[in-house]
Amino acid sequence: MNNSAINKFLNLKNQVLHKTVLDDNELWIELKAGDEKAFSTLFKRYYSYLIQYGNSFSPFSEKTQDCVQDVFTDIWIYRDSLSDTVVVKAYLLSCVRKRIVRLQQRDKVFNKSKSVDAIAFLFDFSVEQQLISDELTAGKVNQLNKVLNVLPARQKEALYLRYHHGLSVDEIAAILNVNYQSANNLLHRALVNIRKEWKGTFVLLIMLLTHWI
Amino acid sequence: MIAETLFKMKKRNQYREIEDFLADESFRLWMKSENDVDGWEEWTLEHPKRAKLVQEARLWLLAMKVPEDNLSQEQVDTALQNTWMKIEQKEQDRKMEQKLIQLWNTTWFRKIAAILVFGLLSVYVYNNYFANNHNDSYYDQIVNNTDEDGLLEQINNSNKPQIITLSDGSSVLLQPKSKLSYPKIFRGNERNVYLSGEAFFEISKNPKKPFFVHANEIVTKVVGTSFRVKAYASQSDVEVLVRTGKVKVNSNKKNHNLSQKEIVLLPNQGLRFTRKDQTFDKITDITKDKSISNSIKSIEQLSFEFTDIPVAQIFKTIEQAYSVEIDFPKQELQKCHLTTSLSDQPLPEKLKIICKSIGNNSSYTMNGNQITILSKGCN
Repeated sequence: MNNSAINKFLNLKNQVLHKTVLDDNELWIELKAGDEKAFSTLFKRYYSYLIQYGNSFSPFSEKTQDCVQDVFTDIWIYRDSLSDTVVVKAYLLSCVRKRIVRLQQRDKVFNKSKSVDAIAFLFDFSVEQQLISDELTAGKVNQLNKVLNVLPARQKEALYLRYHHGLSVDEIAAILNVNYQSANNLLHRALVNIRKEWKGTFVLLIMLLTHWI
Repeated sequence: MIAETLFKMKKRNQYREIEDFLADESFRLWMKSENDVDGWEEWTLEHPKRAKLVQEARLWLLAMKVPEDNLSQEQVDTALQNTWMKIEQKEQDRKMEQKLIQLWNTTWFRKIAAILVFGLLSVYVYNNYFANNHNDSYYDQIVNNTDEDGLLEQINNSNKPQIITLSDGSSVLLQPKSKLSYPKIFRGNERNVYLSGEAFFEISKNPKKPFFVHANEIVTKVVGTSFRVKAYASQSDVEVLVRTGKVKVNSNKKNHNLSQKEIVLLPNQGLRFTRKDQTFDKITDITKDKSISNSIKSIEQLSFEFTDIPVAQIFKTIEQAYSVEIDFPKQELQKCHLTTSLSDQPLPEKLKIICKSIGNNSSYTMNGNQITILSKGCN
């Protein structure tokens, strides 16, 4: 009974998700034509995604909210000069990131900090506990999670954009401001790193487990 | 729709790596929500190799959980409202900007701006050019109207003071951007010179032949003394500062409306003539007047009282005071020491006294800023 209710809800969500992918561009065109409803719909759809992404760079959530709202403000005000063909999600993520970079650089200039490096992705992946039933899987997943979270910030960000937001390598390259090859290398290196590390700890884990048994 | 699904299903048959699965949205959905739209379970079970890959891909996805965004509907709505407010604010700012640009583009506004700029420019040009001419004409008028002919004019366009020796033995230290007109030889029973700018005078004593300095609106009369006159055509004040002796200051004869006719100045006293309202202002102690004591030049600060001082050092003091170069036989005069008081003496007099004190028929020649001492050593 309960299970079926959840399934129903997920089905609905699934449908919505599928539909949104199709709708983004239509909404974008309507927004460009001056449709306030389209703007509000896109805002509601992506606001929390963008806040989460923005918060991965800076711990000051108020600044992030300002940033994301400013991105939307500019989109509306300069809607006439926006491109027709954009992947809305990637575009929004990219705008938020650029704005945060600019803000942090400005802060660093004011604080007279020495380095004006690119911003660091501080987000940590967590473990999907609810979907894990057995201890062996839990051990493996926990190990993998640890390995994932110690990856270099940029590799982690590339993984996040690729496998959480489902962006293409091209779109990731644009957001990280590198060429396609670099973005591809970033993802590839991340996966190679994880496999190497994980295999090592995994073997250790098995040994420990067998010994304990 | 069916064709798309079929294409996707064919595509997944090519999956060989974990990342292929991770990048598949449908697969992610199945793993995370157990919602199997595309029949993943059936597909997996078809092949044991696939099952292994799918199993591993599942572990990856489980380890890569991104927490659901915890923003409530309310928070998002508030943020949206906030954004609309920001948009309104920014649009107003932009409208203001455009209005300003429009205003600038209207012709009448430009005309007014042009008239204003022209007006300000005219005032500036008038103040700096015509007004100047007017002031400078004082000097020209006075010089042109004198009966004396054969006036010499010395103009100092350099950035160092220049020394002028007059026919009566008086010396004048002419400051940069200043000019002095004086007769080659003083005839009659007056000595008249004409100054525009600033100069330090050291007048040789001659009670029968008083010395007059004409500078802008004022005339300074002296018998024998040292003093400074500062009368730039472009500056609003004229100043006379007395170092030694006694000086009388009169207004230029043309200015009959002056309330005070003559002012007597004693050492360390001064006078400021304000040209705007044509009034004299006596300064009883120039050392206490900040604007003057700041401007006092080195010659007034140097002491010419020497007690058993090497001749070389005395020459150095003179070089510094009058911006001249003194060439003297260093070897011969090495051991000469003098005790003498040279204050209140014009430069030629100072040199004469020094030569006399050295003795042995010592003498000097002066050519512009170059002074040469001829001596065979002291007694």
